[in-house]
Formats: sequence, structure tokens, C-alpha cells
Amino acid sequence: MSGDLQKEFGDYTKNLNRASKDTNIETAISRAVKAYRATVSDAMERYPHTPDLAAEVRQIKTDSIANNDALLQQAMESVERNKGKAFYARDKQQALEIVAEIIGKEKIVVKGKSMLGEELHLREYLEEKGNEVWESDLGEFILQLKHDRPMHILSPAIHVPREQVAEIFSKFFGREVPPDIAQEVAIVKDFLRDKYFKAHVGISSANVVAADTGAMVIIENEGNIRLSTAAPPVHIVVVGIEKIVPTFQESMKVAEVTWRYAQYGVPSYVSMISGPSKTGDIEKVTTYGAHGPREFYVVFVDNGRTTMAQDELFSQALHCLRCGGCMYECPVFQVTAGNFGHTYLGGIGSVWTAFVAGGLEKAAPLLYTCLRCGRCVERCPMQIDVPAMVGELRNRIVNGEEKEIGLDSQAS
Amino acid sequence: MAVEMKLPPVLDIIRGNIVKHGNPLALKGAEVASWAKRLSLPAQGEILFYTGGEYQLVPFIDSLVKTMTHMDQGGKGFSLMMGVRNILDKAGINAEKIYASVLAKDKERFNNVCYKAAVILQELGYDLCYGGEQELYSGALLYELGYWQDLREYGQKVVQSLKQSGAKTIVCLSPHAAEVFKLVYPKLVKGFQIEVRTFVEMVWEKRDKLPAVKFDDSVVIHDSCRLARELGIDQELRDIMESVGAAVREPMRSRKWTTCCGGPGKLLFPEISHKIADRRIGELEETGAGVILTSCPYCLAALQGGTKEGSETGVEDLIEFLYRGFAV
Ligand code: SF4
Repeated sequence: MSGDLQKEFGDYTKNLNRASKDTNIETAISRAVKAYRATVSDAMERYPHTPDLAAEVRQIKTDSIANNDALLQQAMESVERNKGKAFYARDKQQALEIVAEIIGKEKIVVKGKSMLGEELHLREYLEEKGNEVWESDLGEFILQLKHDRPMHILSPAIHVPREQVAEIFSKFFGREVPPDIAQEVAIVKDFLRDKYFKAHVGISSANVVAADTGAMVIIENEGNIRLSTAAPPVHIVVVGIEKIVPTFQESMKVAEVTWRYAQYGVPSYVSMISGPSKTGDIEKVTTYGAHGPREFYVVFVDNGRTTMAQDELFSQALHCLRCGGCMYECPVFQVTAGNFGHTYLGGIGSVWTAFVAGGLEKAAPLLYTCLRCGRCVERCPMQIDVPAMVGELRNRIVNGEEKEIGLDSQAS
Repeated sequence: MAVEMKLPPVLDIIRGNIVKHGNPLALKGAEVASWAKRLSLPAQGEILFYTGGEYQLVPFIDSLVKTMTHMDQGGKGFSLMMGVRNILDKAGINAEKIYASVLAKDKERFNNVCYKAAVILQELGYDLCYGGEQELYSGALLYELGYWQDLREYGQKVVQSLKQSGAKTIVCLSPHAAEVFKLVYPKLVKGFQIEVRTFVEMVWEKRDKLPAVKFDDSVVIHDSCRLARELGIDQELRDIMESVGAAVREPMRSRKWTTCCGGPGKLLFPEISHKIADRRIGELEETGAGVILTSCPYCLAALQGGTKEGSETGVEDLIEFLYRGFAV
């Protein structure tokens, strides 16, 4: 591996500087940070068991990552037992091919928000294969039309104010859409409703997977996941292998901690999907595809996660619940939003980028942007030590990946 | 598999300076130690007073960053691509001239911080020794920037120089030095067995001996990230303030939740760094306190740089504030 990081750094820096002067970003993030802090502290007061539950989840995640191979196998068996089809994708290319193979050509696809989708460039790939693909999350939908990338993992279009949304929509829908949020939401609702029922395939990810039951747990507020996973005749789940935990009970604990730190007391919807839709109402004969999808597929994606899992220091990165809490507390993120990122955002994102979304070269500018101030660790329900990982990755950039250079405990 | 990536040259310059000259900006030993002339501290003793040259360095960093940012007006990421020396050469001025351009009053202020710290500790009854011109920078930036292999070697030199003092305890003015000695050296450098303390801890232990500071206004404490989070020192600062009779106000983010001053980003991303400092100043000024207090050379510099012209709020190091009590 080699490369001239100076150009990367140069372009990236320009972008960061521009973002730090962008008043849209400033207003949106300031508001978001304030709201986040207030709602999370409310939620913690109302549900004071949360920090203890987070500690329990840390243990669940640690054990699950250590035992990932076995859990993956168990989860795949469960999916098959439930009459779904399970796949393991070693890398990005394989994942894309599996999904494309299931879908075929000239299909309409509705898709839920997913960081893994971004990692794989899933929508772009399926479009290239001649499909019509729609992001169904409102924020992602805006970005799809804007040809932009997410600036926050939960609120991807955090940097786009209503006036700009109105402009984008007016152009796309070919009629004047006023800068009124309710009307903006309504017009997308109408448009996508039609797509849900015309779609051949719905794609979602999952926040947690329970190995024992093969249950996919998906957290959302908009209801777009419900529609895109229920209306089309085929549902494909594309999920990272790090999301698997042993039991359904444990998956619920992980889910609660995830949404709590994502500033929801409770989200509007939690879906638990474990197989195709079925009925036995006529003569007790099981028939698939009753009201929901007839076919159910799960693609478990590795794409560098096993490498992470096997590294003593970096396996903790796989505990990330993608709650987004750290980003609100990151001083750099607060002034630049997702421009401090490459697919994955912020400090934890620089680590993920290094392993699954572009390698050390793409991650290097991010790794050197991190202040290593450590406030994210305070916020993180999984207490992921981002500064330590950033330090080690800088060391690997400078010195290569020989292990003996890293910190050890026997020196003195 | 070796990764060969070209990092922005400014990093390599800093690295080279540390390894070759024992100081990130290649300041001369005489410059770094000039503050101590008045005190004639012995070279050996029980407690080694350690500046690491960091407070002394601060006005120079700022001057360099100012030059870089000035040269970078086109927004081309110039500073990164060219590196400090090249920029200076291109502008027709050499590094020495830049160094010479640092205002005498700034140099004096930061050099004085070291002097004041030593006086305070002596007054509290600590017997100090000091390495003088032989003192080497801790290498914290080597750690910070990923030059761990260099730190392994350079650290040996630092340990040798510390050992010459015969001290059992080293008292660090900068939390960055304390952090790297306490948390990194044991894992990276052989034969490091000196007890590491911070100035804040040493003062805290004898805080009942501190003279009161006459100050009508209140102070707001900016906890430094390293001190509060890595070293777990935050209540100590409040206790010390109570001892000297100063009223403390708390910003919306403090202690373990303190907001970074942006300092660590200064070399590579000066604009972002400045913006972060600005925002932090905002949080601190919101309290209405008369003085912002910090206990870290980089926080001091970053926050000082973030205060607006004509702002009513001053920025002081804890050392400077405590010295007010001794100066009367
Ligand atoms: S690193 Fe921690 S705080 Fe950040 S998104 Fe992941 S779980 Fe949440």
C-alpha cells in the first residue's frame, strides 16, 4: 500500500474549512446538539436503569464479538429454519453480487436507511444494474435527489434546511413546493406510497440480530421501514455480522440501549422480522406471502469485520450501536458535520473507515483530524476508546503494521 | 507490510525537531531554560521540576500557525502541502526570523509561567531541582502523531536525562507531559520508574498553605481534556480555588464533559482549531466570569487566541492566577 496523502489531505482540508463556514451546518448542528443533550438527559431521568442496561449490553457485545463465528452460523440456520434464505458475504463485491442476483434487472426497489448500504454503495450498484431504487427514509431521499452523502448517521440530511429542500423538491416533482416542512413531508409520503406498492423488492438493514430465533430487530420512527419491508413481495435484509447477539432477550436489551442513546425514550416503531409472511388459515395449510413478502433473504456481510474482531484493540469498534451520541459531543463534528468522515463519520468513523470503507489511506485525514480529546468515550454507551484506536492507527500509518511497535505492557 | 504514505511535511518537521533537537520547534536549550536564571535551581534533588519546554514553546507555535494561516489565504490546504520550512522559505523569511518575530512580551509571559510555577512550589515547601538547558521535551507529540517507533528511541534519551537528576518524583507543568510519562512511557520505554505528578496535584496537597488571591470577580475553570479525562484531575482545581478564596463558576460543559480547546488540531487544521476555540470561549464567557482559568499550555494558547479583541474576559493559567497571591 502506498499513496500520496498530501493531495487527499489538501482536498479534505478545503472541504472541512468550507463546512466550518457553512451557516446551514452551523445552525442545524447547534440546534441538534442542544436538542440531543436535552432529550437524552430527559430520557435518562425517565428511564434511570439505562446506564446499567448499557453496561450489560457492553458485556453482551463483547461476548458476541468473541463468539461471532458460531453466532453467525446459528443465525444463518435460524433464518433457514424460518423459511428464509441466508447468505454470507466475505466482502463488498460478494455482498453486492448476492443482492443483485436476488433482485435481477428492471425492478423497483425501496430501501431503508443503512450505513452498511452506504459502505457497499448498494443503491448505486443496483441502479447501475438497471433497477429503479428509492431511498425511503426522508433524509436519505433528500440526499438521493441532491446527489449528496449523509452528514449524520441518524439525521443524514441534517445540513439541508427546509428552503433548500423546497428547491430540490420543486425541481424533482416539477411543481412549486413551498418551504413548509409539513408540505415537504406530505409530498414525499404520497410519492413513496405509490412506490412501496409497486416495488418488487424492499431492502432494509437491522439494528440487532438474534441468533437463536433469527429475528431481525429494526428501530425506526418514520414508518418507512414497516412499509418497505411489508408491502413488496420480496424482503432482503443486508446486515453486518457484528450485529448478531445470542438470544432474542438480549437483542431487546441492545435495541433499548441503542434507541435510548439515539435520544428516543422509545421509538415509534420497532420491527421484529424473522421470515416470510405466512398463513395457515385455510385448512391449516401453510402458505407464504399472505399480506407481506413471500420471500425473505438475509445477507450477512463481513467486509473486514472479522479482521477487526480478531484484533485485540479494534474488536471494541464492533460494539458500536450507531446511536450517534458521540457525534453530538465531538467538537470537530459540531463545526463540520459529516465532512469529518468518509462513509463512516467522526472518530469512531475513522476507525471503521480504516477497516471496512476505504482502508488506512482514506482514513488517514480523518485519523489526523480527531483531537483525541476523549469526550466521545464519556458519551458512548459502549465506552469505545476511540482515542486509543486513533493513536494506534496513526502509528500504523507512520510505522506500518508491525505489531511490536505498538504499546506493550512489558517494556518497563 | 509497510505502509508508505506521505504525511503532510509539517508532521515530519515536528518529528525531526524533537528527535534531533529535543524540542518540537528546535528551540535552543538556552532559550527554553532562560526563565530559571533568577532561581539557580540545582541539577539534582528529590523532586525534578519539569517544564518540557512546553509553555516556552507556545508563543512560537502561534507565530508559526499565524504565518501558515496567512499564507493559506487561498484555502488550498497550502500549509499542509508545503510544510512549515517551505512556506517560510517561499515567503523569503527563514525560520530564525519567524522565531525572532515573536513578540518579546509574549515570550516573557510564557517563560514567566515556568518561573511562577517554580516559585509557587518552593513557597509551598517543595525542594526542586531542574535540568536546565539539558532538559528534553517529553515526546508527547511523537506519541500523539503516531511516531511511536521514534518515541521508543527518543524516550530512552529522555529517561537518561531525567535519571541524571537523581529525582524520585517528577512534577510536570503540562498535562500532556504527565500523560505521556505516566500512561505511555511504562508501555513503550524501558527503565522508567520515576513517580509522575502534575503541578496541580502538588499544589492541591499543600493548598492550605496558599496565600489568598485578591480578586473581586469570579473565575471559570476550563478543564483541560488530558487533565480531566486521562488523569482524572478536576475536583482538585475547584478545591484550590476555594483555598485561595476565589468564586468559581461552571460552564455548561466541564470536568469529564469538558470541551476541547481545539489546540490539538492547530498544526494541521488551523481554521477548524480556531473555530473550536471560539466556540469554547463562547461557552466559558456565557458564565459571566471575569477570568478563564486553565492548566495546560496549549489550552492557554488556544483560548487566548480565541478571545475576541476587546473582550472583557481574561485568560490565565492556574499558575499565573495563584502567583497573584504571592506577588503582593
Ligand atoms: S461509538 Fe458509541 S456513541 Fe458513537 S455511535 Fe457508536 S455506540 Fe454510539
